[in-house]
Amino acid sequence: MSRAARLKAVRASLAILEGSAGRPTLPFGDARVDDRLPGGGLPLGRWHEAAGEGMEIETAAAASAFVAALATPLADRGEVVWIMRRDDLYAPGLAGLGFPAERLIQVCVRDETAALAALEDALGAPGVVAAIGEAESPDLIAGRRLQLACERHGATGFLIHRRLFGGETRGRGSAAATRWRIASAPSEPAPGEPGLGAPRWRVSLERCQGGRPGDWIMEKSDGPLSLRVVAELGDRQLDAPQPWRRLAG
Amino acid sequence: MRRLAAVDAGAAALGLFTGQKATDALALAPELTLADADPEADARALRALADWCARFSPAVAMDPPDGLFLDITGVDHLWGGEAAMMDDFVGRLAKDGLPVRAAVAGSPGAAWALAHFGQGRIVASDAEPLWPLPVAALRLSPADATQIARLGLRSIGALAALPRDQLGRRFGPDVMRRLDQALGRGGEALAFRRPPNPWFARAAFAEPISVPEDLARACGDIVERLCARLEAEGRGARRFDLAFHRLDGAAEPLTVGLALPGRDPAAVTRLFLPLLERVDPGFGIDAVTLGAREVETRAPSQADLHAEQGGRESLAPLVDRLTNRLGETAVWRAEAFPSHAPERATRRRPALSPPTNTGWDVARPRPLRLFPRPEPVEVVALVPDDPPVLFRWRGTAHRVRRAEGPERLGEEWWRRPFDRADPQKARDYYQVEDEAGARFWLFRVGLYDAAAPPKWWLHGLFG
Repeated sequence: MSRAARLKAVRASLAILEGSAGRPTLPFGDARVDDRLPGGGLPLGRWHEAAGEGMEIETAAAASAFVAALATPLADRGEVVWIMRRDDLYAPGLAGLGFPAERLIQVCVRDETAALAALEDALGAPGVVAAIGEAESPDLIAGRRLQLACERHGATGFLIHRRLFGGETRGRGSAAATRWRIASAPSEPAPGEPGLGAPRWRVSLERCQGGRPGDWIMEKSDGPLSLRVVAELGDRQLDAPQPWRRLAG
Repeated sequence: MRRLAAVDAGAAALGLFTGQKATDALALAPELTLADADPEADARALRALADWCARFSPAVAMDPPDGLFLDITGVDHLWGGEAAMMDDFVGRLAKDGLPVRAAVAGSPGAAWALAHFGQGRIVASDAEPLWPLPVAALRLSPADATQIARLGLRSIGALAALPRDQLGRRFGPDVMRRLDQALGRGGEALAFRRPPNPWFARAAFAEPISVPEDLARACGDIVERLCARLEAEGRGARRFDLAFHRLDGAAEPLTVGLALPGRDPAAVTRLFLPLLERVDPGFGIDAVTLGAREVETRAPSQADLHAEQGGRESLAPLVDRLTNRLGETAVWRAEAFPSHAPERATRRRPALSPPTNTGWDVARPRPLRLFPRPEPVEVVALVPDDPPVLFRWRGTAHRVRRAEGPERLGEEWWRRPFDRADPQKARDYYQVEDEAGARFWLFRVGLYDAAAPPKWWLHGLFG
């Protein structure tokens, strides 16, 4: 048996052990990303974290744009619920990113606890295909509850880290399937074209159960996936040889 | 000059009367206790009393300053007849120390006359008991009443005996109307404090209850009873008002709303249960009422709620839970509103109402986060009409790498008096990208003016 075939067999048995075999995924359509994700795409029916840095912790604009882009293909199949503590999400802006704003139910809550409770409630409800919450990182128990809610109807959860009044976010271990760090990146319009190009983000996959982290520059595209990988940054393949340790974390 | 606004029974026995000068009254009865009149508190107390009366009838109208009308059509049998109902009513108020005069009659006018001028508690089935009453019992204006009295017509019977055409010609339409209302010949529209609601259920308890489990059971029972009626008639309601009536008369209603008309008792009870902890039972609760509002026709067969592709139906339980927990305004969908002012271009609609108008012009750049109030920024611009090269927002300087714009949005002059419209209020919006790639939506207010440098604001962030 060749090395590649053996690896494939081990991966398959791992997937069965983790219970992720046969789970639907949302591929990015680019091998540079999909190869690093378990099952060849963003696992659906799980929940994912996205965070920003600096001022973004307070405003969460880039992370929201990234999450909206991920949720856009899902919105064909059901409703999307967006739970926030500050009502500053602007639907025309979402529409400009290609997100079908008429499929979006917005919910404004008063505090952190209510945000997580509403997120859990929305994830477990029939007819909801994705729920997006803006909150700080939940602890392991709250994260596990989110996961159980996701499994009821296979909804996908997104948690955008946001602290309304700034400050450091607590980087806690959590039960999320993946954790992304999103920052804006300078756009590059085609030569000779005035103004701004398509928006770009520097996307880091910091943590991924059953996958490997990575760093990419992605750009908004008009295709069905609404994200296009422009470049891969660095190579973490060499410095992350022990995925099982990440699993335990 | 201070005058007496009201006297109680003891003071009346001493010969004091309403409208008397306070000094005269004190001369007659030096031990008199005076309290300042507070008409607003009186009105509040009357409103509270009207709410309390909802336990007798859902249709209660106020007759300020000191009267109440209860429409008891169709509810008196619950007390075993009109007389028994009135006895219960007067007895309960008397126990609270509230002197009350009450009468039951076929029309509001007759009941008013008998309650104000009749002797004792009267249940009138016809106009007979009205005849000996003075004409003032017809709720006439003082001028009309004195005019009629001057002509020697001292009782309603004497007035009603006159030929009708003479009556109208001599005293005017107002007297005719009041007479007809008292005799039940003319209609009278009462302004009910609550519109009479046919979707109403009530349960009274032999012993007052106060334990939370009992409240929950009472809630479940009464919801089931009303929902069974809704089911039988093929209706569903969007609002349910549950009120626990305490022994001391207070009844704070609890309201839950449904996004789609519903009548599933289990679902409605589930929405009420978290609210029950707000109920303060006081010394005990002796009655519970439930009213359904916004009742609509609803197809009798109900689709499976847990269908995967249920659409609106399947979302309703989630929307109901969130709305009742977080508030009516906390769950919505955004829809387009035809306005070019960015802060007015979206409007909230209920999450489950059918879409009316969606779609914004995606060709115009719009931010993902729009600040409720634009934030001031300090700007360095090379040319007044150009986008800035550097701006400072929240203490951080951002060097602009690329910019797009301007998009000029004028003031919506039709929203204010025409002469106050000001071309200086136009905003020029720029989408700028700083060196890190973050995108901002800046605008400059006003046209170029050499004397006053324009002000710049940050209105939103792109992702």
